Amino acid sequence: MVSPHGVQLATHLISSFYGDLCSKVCECLLRRGTLTLAQIIRFTELSRENVINCLRVLIHQNCVQAFAIQQEGAFGEAPRIITQYMALFDNMIHKMRAPKFMQIVSEELGKDCLGIFQGLIQHGRLSINQIIDRNEQTAGSADVHVVRESFNRLLIARFIERCPAPEPFLAPPADGETPAKKRGAKSAKIGEERQTTEQRALAAAAPMDSMRFLMEMDDPSEEKSEECTNSVTVGEKRKQDVLKSDEDALDADKKKEVLWRVNFEELVRRLRHKACVSYVKMRINDEAAIVLSAMLELSRHSETRQKAENSAYLSINAIYDEVIKKEGGLGMDFERIRASLEQLGCQCLETGVDENYSIDIKGIIESAQTEEVESVVLRRYGREAYRIFRLLSKAGRFLESDKISDTTFVEKKDTIKILYKLWKDDYLHMEKVMTSGAKQSLFLLWRVNKEPLREHVLDEMYHAALNLRLRIAHEQDKGKEILQLPREKLVGELEKRYKLLGKVRVILESSLMNLDEAIMLFHDF
Amino acid sequence: MSRRPVNPSLKRKRPETDSPGLVDAERAILNSIKGKKDLGIWARDIKQETKLTDHVVNKSLKSLLAKKLIKEVVNIQNKGKKHYMAVEFEPSKEISGGEWYVDGNLDKELINVLKQLCFRYLRTQKVATLEGVYNELKKNRVVTFDISNQQVSEILNSMVLDNDLIEVKSTGLGDYHSIPIGTVCYRIASAAGVAKGPRMGAFASIPCGACPRISLCTPNGVISPGTCVYYTKWLSIDF
Ligand code: SF4
Repeated sequence: MVSPHGVQLATHLISSFYGDLCSKVCECLLRRGTLTLAQIIRFTELSRENVINCLRVLIHQNCVQAFAIQQEGAFGEAPRIITQYMALFDNMIHKMRAPKFMQIVSEELGKDCLGIFQGLIQHGRLSINQIIDRNEQTAGSADVHVVRESFNRLLIARFIERCPAPEPFLAPPADGETPAKKRGAKSAKIGEERQTTEQRALAAAAPMDSMRFLMEMDDPSEEKSEECTNSVTVGEKRKQDVLKSDEDALDADKKKEVLWRVNFEELVRRLRHKACVSYVKMRINDEAAIVLSAMLELSRHSETRQKAENSAYLSINAIYDEVIKKEGGLGMDFERIRASLEQLGCQCLETGVDENYSIDIKGIIESAQTEEVESVVLRRYGREAYRIFRLLSKAGRFLESDKISDTTFVEKKDTIKILYKLWKDDYLHMEKVMTSGAKQSLFLLWRVNKEPLREHVLDEMYHAALNLRLRIAHEQDKGKEILQLPREKLVGELEKRYKLLGKVRVILESSLMNLDEAIMLFHDF
Repeated sequence: MSRRPVNPSLKRKRPETDSPGLVDAERAILNSIKGKKDLGIWARDIKQETKLTDHVVNKSLKSLLAKKLIKEVVNIQNKGKKHYMAVEFEPSKEISGGEWYVDGNLDKELINVLKQLCFRYLRTQKVATLEGVYNELKKNRVVTFDISNQQVSEILNSMVLDNDLIEVKSTGLGDYHSIPIGTVCYRIASAAGVAKGPRMGAFASIPCGACPRISLCTPNGVISPGTCVYYTKWLSIDF
């Protein structure tokens, strides 16, 4: 389940991009989990027409995914096929990151590709013909060849992908499966491997790997592309055979052409790698960062999962070849690369003559997360709290108050005060132990519970991101009159205030982007 | 004054270290205090144990103190309760709080001086083991008391927690050439990476990251980002 402030941030974003009605539908789905059209209408108290329109927009913007399931008929009736809608929380939050994504594309592929990419960011889903049309309007040029060429480059880089099937059909759930919304926090932990209905729906909707980044060579004629969409999943096809959905209105969204969209997965992966490299650069040194970035580059395409824990095993020769291509890597020899690999804590696997290394990506991410949390503790609770927190976080087990006080050189009384404060704010976990016997005494045991803490901090960061956005809006609102003045009137005092407003905005916005990096570190990486 | 022996066993035992010139009550109390060794004993507990009256106990304690046979000690667990201990004992760790406590207070000054000394030494050495730091402190007689290996280790540990130092394992190469491979060593954190000490994270560097009221802050509440004073202050400092 999405954390409370995550929901607030997502609905705020959707409301500022697509209006209050859409945001209401989103909120409903995020809070209650997957629902049918009828349920959404009932819970949001919006008209059927409004809800359908909102869903259409949200699906088009990749914020909602529909899927069909078979429901047991009541009292011996035949089973019914019903359509359900699930919120795609991550994609909603990605709206906030568009500038970051565009920067990656622009840096790697240049202006032409950026233009197409921007269109997809804005419109959510487009067919190749729509892209060509749009390009004609925005750029004024109509060189179809260039557009197709750029489009292809985007595909090869995997920055864009074929859209998922609009409404895949899920076979009745196997035994023991429960819908995500009904699972408690506890069972969610145990059932990591067990897929939720939502995960199955996403998997069923996703185009086959071979199709995902494949562009048809000839002009996609209507029939052909429809065939493609249909062949995407068997379920989809079956669904179309079996049922005429009661929400045909929504089917209007099923364009007959192949639709394309931004592939967030790849973009997030790039950002993840970037974050690892810059962390290593800061914590170890430039050379280790170069080696790491070479390794990540090499193993990028073999990363099958979104959050790969380790890189593939790479031979030292391959690493060397990649390192010397990097800026600053030309002067490095095998010895220095080996030294950096050692500093990075790489696993070495020697098979015969070959010497292979793998890097622990998850380890780097976790260190970066730990640092982020620790720095909040330092800032909010002070140096002594920082020391105490680090002791507990490193120990990874329960420690008793006195022991904590002794190890950290904090007065016993102060130690208790600090521990209580951290505990009250959900940064620590506490347990009381009574020793029985002649002399009864109460011991307080403390520990850092990493997983709940991570989620707690993430929720606070969503909260902070929302606050930053609200403050930006507030500042803009405050300076409305000045911002609306024509340029020539901006002199003297007014000019000063105008400039100040600009500065404030830059500060707030860059803070938001930095904070977002931390959010990704905790949620997406 | 009751002359009846309270605790027959005490009387029978007659410790060899008997001090002359004590009345029975004083002797009984002294024995009771000595029996607690380095833990000391609370006045109220002496009364319980010896079954003597308040008055007798207080008078005897005063007299024993005057004869320098016992002393008052501060018990870190409960600074308000007067504890007594025989002069020949030093307060145990549970009572005194350990070597770092002076009269029941943490000796922060000493700790800070030691931290600085360790830091300075490590800056010149780049890397050192616990033994190395310990020997250095002993050799130079920088501290007047007999510092223990354990104490140095505690100081170094707290510096690691402060993120001033980092703990590393010797590779036997470069800076580590004189240290056996695998030995735990310490080095200054800022020298190991480009970043100095704890880094300010993205969340910690905006007002909400440091905000004690974040859980009370809502978009339209009494505490809200629009009216937030922390933001106003932050935005006015920055330019
Ligand atoms: S907006 Fe202000 S009051 Fe609210 S959490 Fe942030 S700093 Fe605290």
